Amino acid sequence: MRRNVIDSTLEDAYYRLLEAEEELDQVRTTVYAAPTLTIAILISTATGICAQGRGGGPPQPPRVAAPVDLTGYWVSLVTEDWRYRMMTPPKGDFGSVPLNMDGQKLAQSWDPAKDEAAGNQCKAYGAAGLLRIPGRLHVTWQDDSTLKVEADAGTQTRLFYFGPPQGQGGDWQGISTASWDRSRSPLGFQFFGAPPSAGGSMASVTTKLKPGYLGKNGLPYSANTVVTEYWDRLDVPNGDSLLVVSTEVVDPTYLAQPFWTSTHFKKQNDATGWNPTPCSAR
Amino acid sequence: MRRTFLLYLTVLLGVVVFSQVCFGQGGPPAGAGRPTPGFDLSGYWTAAIHEDALERGGGPETADYGGFPINEAARLFGLSYNVSRVTLRHHQCDGYVAPYSVRSIGNARAWEERDPHTQRLIAIHWYNQTFEGSRTIWMDGRPHPPPYAPHTWMGFSTGTFVGNALVVQATHIKQGWLRRNGLPESDQATTVEFFVRHGDHLTYTSVITDPVYLTEPVVRTTDFARQPVDHGNWLFACDDGEQIFGRAQDQVPNYLLGQNPFVKEQGEKYKIPMLGYLGGPETMYPEFAAKMRTATDAEGLARTRPAAGAPPTSRAIDPEPHDGDIHVLPLRNNVYLLLGDGGNIVVQVGDEGAFVVDTGTGALAAKTIAAIRKLSDKPIQFVANTGYRPDHTGGNAALRAAGADPSVVGSFFALGFADAGIGATIMAHQNVQNHMYALKMPAAGIPSDTFLDERRRHFHNGDAIEMFQEPSAVTDADSIVQFRRADIIVTGDIFTTTQFPFIDVQNGGSVQGEIKALNDILNRTVYQHESEGGTIVIPGHGYVCDEHEVVEYRDMVAIVRDRVQALIKNGATLEQVKTARPTADYDSRYGATSGPWTTAMFVEAVYNSLKQPPK
Repeated sequence: MRRNVIDSTLEDAYYRLLEAEEELDQVRTTVYAAPTLTIAILISTATGICAQGRGGGPPQPPRVAAPVDLTGYWVSLVTEDWRYRMMTPPKGDFGSVPLNMDGQKLAQSWDPAKDEAAGNQCKAYGAAGLLRIPGRLHVTWQDDSTLKVEADAGTQTRLFYFGPPQGQGGDWQGISTASWDRSRSPLGFQFFGAPPSAGGSMASVTTKLKPGYLGKNGLPYSANTVVTEYWDRLDVPNGDSLLVVSTEVVDPTYLAQPFWTSTHFKKQNDATGWNPTPCSAR
Repeated sequence: MRRTFLLYLTVLLGVVVFSQVCFGQGGPPAGAGRPTPGFDLSGYWTAAIHEDALERGGGPETADYGGFPINEAARLFGLSYNVSRVTLRHHQCDGYVAPYSVRSIGNARAWEERDPHTQRLIAIHWYNQTFEGSRTIWMDGRPHPPPYAPHTWMGFSTGTFVGNALVVQATHIKQGWLRRNGLPESDQATTVEFFVRHGDHLTYTSVITDPVYLTEPVVRTTDFARQPVDHGNWLFACDDGEQIFGRAQDQVPNYLLGQNPFVKEQGEKYKIPMLGYLGGPETMYPEFAAKMRTATDAEGLARTRPAAGAPPTSRAIDPEPHDGDIHVLPLRNNVYLLLGDGGNIVVQVGDEGAFVVDTGTGALAAKTIAAIRKLSDKPIQFVANTGYRPDHTGGNAALRAAGADPSVVGSFFALGFADAGIGATIMAHQNVQNHMYALKMPAAGIPSDTFLDERRRHFHNGDAIEMFQEPSAVTDADSIVQFRRADIIVTGDIFTTTQFPFIDVQNGGSVQGEIKALNDILNRTVYQHESEGGTIVIPGHGYVCDEHEVVEYRDMVAIVRDRVQALIKNGATLEQVKTARPTADYDSRYGATSGPWTTAMFVEAVYNSLKQPPK
């Protein structure tokens, strides 16, 4: 009798345990599956909504959404490659530019008179080389989605399109598309913690260039060139503001490797020194 | 009930995730009071040498300063620089200062240091292969050290994330190079640096401010490419050795002002005007391109010599506190530096009581004694004087009295030490005593334990302490004091970081003796790594140093000596020597036109001691 009671109690407990485990499994399923599904839906929804701007309204125009103000007058500080930039170096002086054999061969045949005769005196003022020429930049918004960068050296204008680009390219400045570059996860989201940086820079990619020069002494780049640039504004505690443009020039035709430079400018309060000059081949 | 809980949990998680995804994108507005989130600088980086390849690789041309906003002092320093100076033992392993280190070729590595419990970012470390420059950028908000703290090649760096940049501010950087052809960056330079990362492209921007050698900040940018794997090439070992046999120790290779034989070389090689490549603020702006076409040789040559007119004065900050308090800085082992009462005071403490080197002016003697008592409750046993000047002996009497120990009076030891029990024993060279008696200084502060030989030694608190006489440096009564175990040398006014060396010719000082004394200090120093660290050198006035500061100071005195000697050889009078400005490249660091020790007085002391050398 006593044994039966014990057996019955054990059996009852066993079945209660089985029931409990089944319930636990249901709970587990609900706990894990429901939030996961919900989170996935929310991420999807949130990404979509937030990509259009906070509050789910219409997307802000690039000018308004700019994480950094690049506008104003900026003057070159020629503290690097000084000899190559302040004067036209002699033919064949490639300096630090990683020309391949074809590029070197072409550079050795540089003839400024020939460029002038062909109306190509602006070859060194194309997008891949313009910023290295000492001068001043005037940066303004042409419209809400187009940043205009004028250079007084060679009287050149570069347009950076945050929207669909205008024109066909094939000229000295080619076609430049732009976007705001902010630190963000490749997945587009993160779990908890601080949000990504409030700062950012302008990233631009320039293609469809007319062949030109990386240096005034005829260091060539081809029509296949792709120029990727990052435009950063750095505010120094002493009150100065710097514009630093980090540039990568990729040219499978004349370069042996990507050509990296960073060119810096100091902010001016006004147009002092702004002096548009024509291109010079010499 | 259970289902309700799960629903709440689900909604809560969803809201959190939604918030992160959505509201995290824009981040807080600038200046919202919340620290800007950082980015990861960690990894292996290699500099792209697509700018200034010659300078950064093989080395810059002589006198190539174009584009640097330098002043006259920097230009003349560079033109005086003879590259053979690196054959000197103490220069062979000179490192690069922080911004020039990043500009060099080679590999770099960055990594984070985080608090293991809170995961807060404590520091970012940046290691440069070239000269093994190991840098710590403190991210925890700690303050910069006081001006009297040591300087290093890398300096003391603190960082914050601002926008998309890591912004680093560095102070306490050693004197080094803006460019390794002799273009100097002074020990007064400070930097602001920006690290901005775009994927695998890192752009480093340095803004160097140097009141001694620059007229405005110099900005340079350097690109790095991220490497996916460890290149395994990290070392840059250096050890000095004999390179030129038989060269007298007081010989420092240099070119006399206006006589650099290679100054025209670059212009002739590249067809560029000297006015341009000799640098200056105007050479970094676009307008100078037009000037390049019209500049004349005469304009360039005019910049190779000191300009006429009054010399500039020091633009260095005063490293000494003047707030009426005594400041204590631990040095090594049981040795401390006390600042605030004129000359630097060094204190060693231990079971045997304090051993004090120099006593300041005495104006703050009570606070000095109180500071020492905080370090040790034992009486002051010994005071050693490096000289007799009142800014180093003014507190003698008070500190001596603070060493009174009634338990010793009448003891056996009273026979051994004249002051036993009465007060601290004051030790110095005999000439200190002679001068103090002659000046009728208070008897209680005059050394009673003197020596006549070149060396006095004493073992105290576990350290061998030695005093070495320098017979003709500042005066005829100077000594340096060395703590052998702690590896600390106290120089008195033979070496300072605040002025041209005080040379009292009337009382036995001389420029030759000063150079010898500085070399005697250098003969006793050993650097730890790449010419820095190791032996600590405490100047009579100024910040805590090692041998690098001493060797730069020695170079300066030897070079000025050479210039004055050459002028004397050409028959120049004292006034003509002063007009020639033989200290022109050092005036903005050490010069003075008023006060107790002016540039003119220093030049006169050099002139007089060369005209009538000590016997």
